[in-house]
Amino acid sequence: MSNGDTTKPPKKMTNEPYKPSSADFANYYENFMPYKSIFLWLNHSQAPQNDFTHREFAFEYKSGAYQRYNSFANAQEFRNTVVKAQPVRFEVGAVYPIEPKLRKSVSKNMMKPLMKEFVLDIDLTDYDDVRTCCSGTKICPKCWKFITLAIKIVDAALREDFGFQKLIWVFSGRRGVHCWISDYRVRILDEPKRRAIVEYLDILNVKSKNKSGIALRKPYHPHVERSFEILRDQFVDIIIREQDPWRLDDRYQDLARSVPDYRLSSALLKHWKEDPGSSSASKWRDVDTLYQQLKIKSFDIQDWKREMIFKTMYPRLDVEVSRQMIHLLKSPFCIHPGTGNVCVPFDPSVREFDPFTDAPNLSQLFNEDETKWENTSLKAPIELFNNYVNQLVNDEVKEKRTRDEVKDNLEF
Amino acid sequence: MFRKVRRRTDGRRNFDSNPSKGFTDDLSRYPRRLTFYRMPPLEEITLEEFETWAIDRLKVLLEIESCQSRGKKFKETSSIVTPILSKLLPLNPPSKESSSLYQERKKDHYSHFILRLAFCRSDELRRRFVKAETALFKIRYQQLGLQEQREFVDSIDLPWEEVSEGEREQFRDQLLSCSYNAIRSTLMQTVDYQRTQHVTDQQISAYLDTVKFYRLPFEYVPELVSTRQSFLHLGYAYVGEFQRLSLIATEFSNFLMEQLQATMKALPTLDEDDRLVPVLNNLSKGYVAIDYKLNGYGVGEGDGSDSNDMINAGNVGQFVQDFPLCMQILMEGVQQNHHLRYSGRQQLSLFLKGIGLNAEEALKFWQQQFTAMGPGSMSVEKFNKDYRYSFRHNYGLEGGHIHYKPWDCRTIISKPGPTKNEYHGCPYRDLHRDELSTRLQQLGLEDDTRLGEVLELSERGEYQTACTKVFELVNRERIDSCLKQGVKVDESSIVHPNQYFDRNRYLDEHTEPTKTK
Repeated sequence: MSNGDTTKPPKKMTNEPYKPSSADFANYYENFMPYKSIFLWLNHSQAPQNDFTHREFAFEYKSGAYQRYNSFANAQEFRNTVVKAQPVRFEVGAVYPIEPKLRKSVSKNMMKPLMKEFVLDIDLTDYDDVRTCCSGTKICPKCWKFITLAIKIVDAALREDFGFQKLIWVFSGRRGVHCWISDYRVRILDEPKRRAIVEYLDILNVKSKNKSGIALRKPYHPHVERSFEILRDQFVDIIIREQDPWRLDDRYQDLARSVPDYRLSSALLKHWKEDPGSSSASKWRDVDTLYQQLKIKSFDIQDWKREMIFKTMYPRLDVEVSRQMIHLLKSPFCIHPGTGNVCVPFDPSVREFDPFTDAPNLSQLFNEDETKWENTSLKAPIELFNNYVNQLVNDEVKEKRTRDEVKDNLEF
Repeated sequence: MFRKVRRRTDGRRNFDSNPSKGFTDDLSRYPRRLTFYRMPPLEEITLEEFETWAIDRLKVLLEIESCQSRGKKFKETSSIVTPILSKLLPLNPPSKESSSLYQERKKDHYSHFILRLAFCRSDELRRRFVKAETALFKIRYQQLGLQEQREFVDSIDLPWEEVSEGEREQFRDQLLSCSYNAIRSTLMQTVDYQRTQHVTDQQISAYLDTVKFYRLPFEYVPELVSTRQSFLHLGYAYVGEFQRLSLIATEFSNFLMEQLQATMKALPTLDEDDRLVPVLNNLSKGYVAIDYKLNGYGVGEGDGSDSNDMINAGNVGQFVQDFPLCMQILMEGVQQNHHLRYSGRQQLSLFLKGIGLNAEEALKFWQQQFTAMGPGSMSVEKFNKDYRYSFRHNYGLEGGHIHYKPWDCRTIISKPGPTKNEYHGCPYRDLHRDELSTRLQQLGLEDDTRLGEVLELSERGEYQTACTKVFELVNRERIDSCLKQGVKVDESSIVHPNQYFDRNRYLDEHTEPTKTK
């Protein structure tokens, strides 16, 4: 997070290719990576317990090699291994019944994941059909707004609807964000229940892309209603003005086809063929005008507009990442190997995250101080994470006491 | 039943004529029709009851599985399974006289526990069993009256609390928007709706106030969460009375899964009666096909006088398009080679007997085929000498005068598959994927995804389901047109080649003769 210092260097571009060198990684792993905090975050207690020792870590190496089923006895071993192995990044997986590194000594049936944080992955590449400013791995302040909206909507649902409290958002280093939820009740969920949560959130039904309409059932569910309130006011600014997607040839046809009335849809296509370059604003008005002129009765245009707002701006979630317990996700504070950015955690309730100012880059960090993270812009994110983790561990200890009491009562 | 069998009693006593002593008609043991099966059975039952009860239940579960594999919706599954259920595993409402009620509930209870023993043995079997039993549970719940549903729900212990008046008021809008559609469809089933044909928002809103709402941790109702049919607030799901089934069903399947795992762990110490082991093994192979009742298949008592005179040696070839794939392949085989090996002869000749080809016509047919002009054809003398007897034997006209039944799918699949120059067996099991795919296209299956689904079913070993699916796909239009006209169509799974044929003929009779095959 930004330390609010006004003398900070001018905006650096996140997209600028900066490939950290092996020496950069070595220095970062030696002096910056907060192993102890990550250990506490995954262990939920000061003394090592299964939550950490039976936890899978995967390393990705410069060569592209990917090594699964690493596990560590404590924070020290974790640190030593990373420093020695020098992966370009490491990922965090589930907790297993035994130490994952011993998996070969037991039958395969034993290697079923027991617990894991619930994770969400939102990535700007999934917005390429509405983005016009960038595509692929590129991002800019305009399209980052989609991520900011996604965080707002998902965060609200996770806290207000599901009642989760222990959640932390993490910049993924280039073009998206991850959310890690550590509430005990969600850590123990099986896959069908994880699926239920992510399907609840995934109102666009991203999984089945062949369905053209999203068919939101009316009356809208309170979550849909709340999301709509968040999105509605942004539509004109973000879609119509900034992205202006329907000025483009190939995309205005999609707009015309999304109208659920053949007569209107072909009238629009005909009309726009004569003036393909007209702005999205004018095309958006055309739908209204022609709807009136042709006296279309087959659908309600207000419903269609609402659906378009959802279709263009509602968060696009990676369902499988959230559902599968064996899935791994990059750890906070790793370096994105392509950009050199640190995957910093942030708290959207304090301030909207801006990847262009709030995500320190390795070269920037080393300019600030080569060895002491306290003197760099990594200070704020590490402190934020430490506060979060301390709260998590404290609450967990209290909750665990209650859980054990209940268990004892049941077992006489 | 799971009591350790005391061998020392040398307990292989056969039961006397009055099998149950002391417990007869004790309906208090089964206070309700529906149950979570928490109490294991304790009485002794005969080995025969053990087996037949289990098989009856298995037939029901297999039918449910088959419906699920074919992608039937819950309602469709329910209407397909209900007739089978009322025949094999009925649970009549409490108004009936109690002695039969006791017997029904006992059979339901015991058969469930027997199958637990058979299906606890692997992860795969456990999952299948839980899935099918849960569907069965839901089907039965829906058949209960409202009062019975309430009683049942009260009898199970779940962490739900009724939503307070204050909270109801606070979240009224949210509760209304989440239950709107459910209430609407409830109201559409009322007498009032029959008259007015519409439901107003006021009616829905008024109805909402009569509904009880419960709240409980969202983990208990994943189905309602994923489809956004329930209002969520701070980790609680708010569930209307009318949505309780989803909740109870989840609870049922979780409970059953736990129980199966416990049973599996206990299994080695159970010291089963060694008479039960083969029965249980057979059950878990799951290979029980539902008996197909041939409606007095053609020739009855030997002379064929009461036979269906519509089909004869001359025209049987015209019916080939109504045959299932296995029989079509046999017909092709005999026509190409003017001969069939033993298994093929048996499979085809009994099938033809089943569709109504009488003994006399059958002999004519086989003689024509075997002695027809062509390479490798035989003389009439040789036919009479070597084959006449066996064809007549199949009709019960020779030897032991046994009335042989046409083979069902189970029989066909239990026999070795065809080797070179043989044509018998089940194509969904025996044909190479490419060849099967070509064959299916010839049957008129052109849609690649559908075709892929059938091939996948075959590869998973669900041969009968694959065959049933083919029948449905080939006859989609005819089935739909029947249903539209209100003509009943049997959509249960096909377990017998003659059933395939009969259904085709049934559709012929009930649809316009415009079929273009």
